[in-house]
Amino acid sequence: MKKTISLVAALMMISGVVAAHPFNEAFNEQRAMYGKGHSFTWDGQTYITDHPEEVAAAAEANAANATKLLASAKAKYAEVMAVDFGWTLTKNLLKSSNKALEAGDFRKSMNISAQAEYHSRMGIAQYHQSQTEWIMAVPE
Amino acid sequence: MKIIKSLLVGASLALVASITQAASSGNTLASVDPEADRLAMQSFFQKRFPQVPLDDYVNGIYSLDAGSREQWEEIEEFPPYEFDIEEGEILFNTAFANGKSYAGCFANAGIGIRQNFPRWDESQGKIVTLELAINQCREANGEKKLGWKKGKIAQISAYMAYTSRDNVFDVQIPNDEAKAAYLDGKQSFYTRRGQLNMSCANCHIAGANILIRADLPGPTLGHVTHFPVFRSKWGELGTLQRRYGGCQKNVRGVPQKTQGEKFRNLEFFQTYMSNGLVVNGPGARK
Repeated sequence: MKKTISLVAALMMISGVVAAHPFNEAFNEQRAMYGKGHSFTWDGQTYITDHPEEVAAAAEANAANATKLLASAKAKYAEVMAVDFGWTLTKNLLKSSNKALEAGDFRKSMNISAQAEYHSRMGIAQYHQSQTEWIMAVPE
Repeated sequence: MKIIKSLLVGASLALVASITQAASSGNTLASVDPEADRLAMQSFFQKRFPQVPLDDYVNGIYSLDAGSREQWEEIEEFPPYEFDIEEGEILFNTAFANGKSYAGCFANAGIGIRQNFPRWDESQGKIVTLELAINQCREANGEKKLGWKKGKIAQISAYMAYTSRDNVFDVQIPNDEAKAAYLDGKQSFYTRRGQLNMSCANCHIAGANILIRADLPGPTLGHVTHFPVFRSKWGELGTLQRRYGGCQKNVRGVPQKTQGEKFRNLEFFQTYMSNGLVVNGPGARK
């Protein structure tokens, strides 16, 4: 009986593996529950629920860093638009970041750039995921 | 215990088999079967809403929700698109500067042909929608293109749909290139987009007749038959692809290009799914 249950569990996991990597699932769950800046343990290691863009935006707030982050966010936006998977809010975020940069509010600009770049990164991930997973939604 | 074991193993294998089947069929040019897709789509809706006759799906959400249907039938007593049909007829019959007219660009002089669009155009090597054909006709006769989403193009399209009412949709897939366009449209329909990570199918298959805030999405079966529509939210007539763009914005995605390849292929797929239903455009919607 134990063998059978293990077999069922193993087979059920196949669909789970296809859907998402276990670490990503754990990260997303922790992020959704606790927001950014929260630490959690997964597979014996400690992780923080910050997105890479937020880590980059935590650098010293100055003109050089703000300009660099905005350029990076713009490049990522061009990348997501090239695969036709852009999100609607991103363009305005880039404008807002630029405005904050021009006004000398570097911290605000960096935070907004981080958000814009995250949107674009997620859009690109959505594009790649859709290429293989769309067929799973078709009624048989 | 042996029976339980066998059942568990059987269920596990069935689960894997169904995943494998879904993942490996219908998503390539070799395996896609449009007619099987169409029948599966019809079967899905007939099982889900067994009380709704197949031919009533041309009425969209009003085939599923009695309350909405009552309001819609009252709207249809004085159809808001009536003046647009009249204006469309005038535009359709007005000669171009070169003395020719739209009638010269279409089979049967453009009357009663809506059910054949979108169609695969061999010479252009792409899907041609009715609105694209209207603008191509204009350009071929030295006229400027019309805007794609509303106004004159929607009125001309509405008149042409009106002359085709009760004709049965019969979109053809004559070769592998057309089948590739169909497959591309199928992929678009089931692909999640935008910040809300939603596909057309989320709202119009799984979500049909289920409230999204205050709105009830209509079933995809019969979706295209009543376009162009006079939409109360717009306060005017609009084309199907205007609605596509609106849907993509609603899920917080940057809309794809109106009458671009993606939208034309999507319209081709969606219309093929409604083959066998009648043209009842133009229509009125909330």
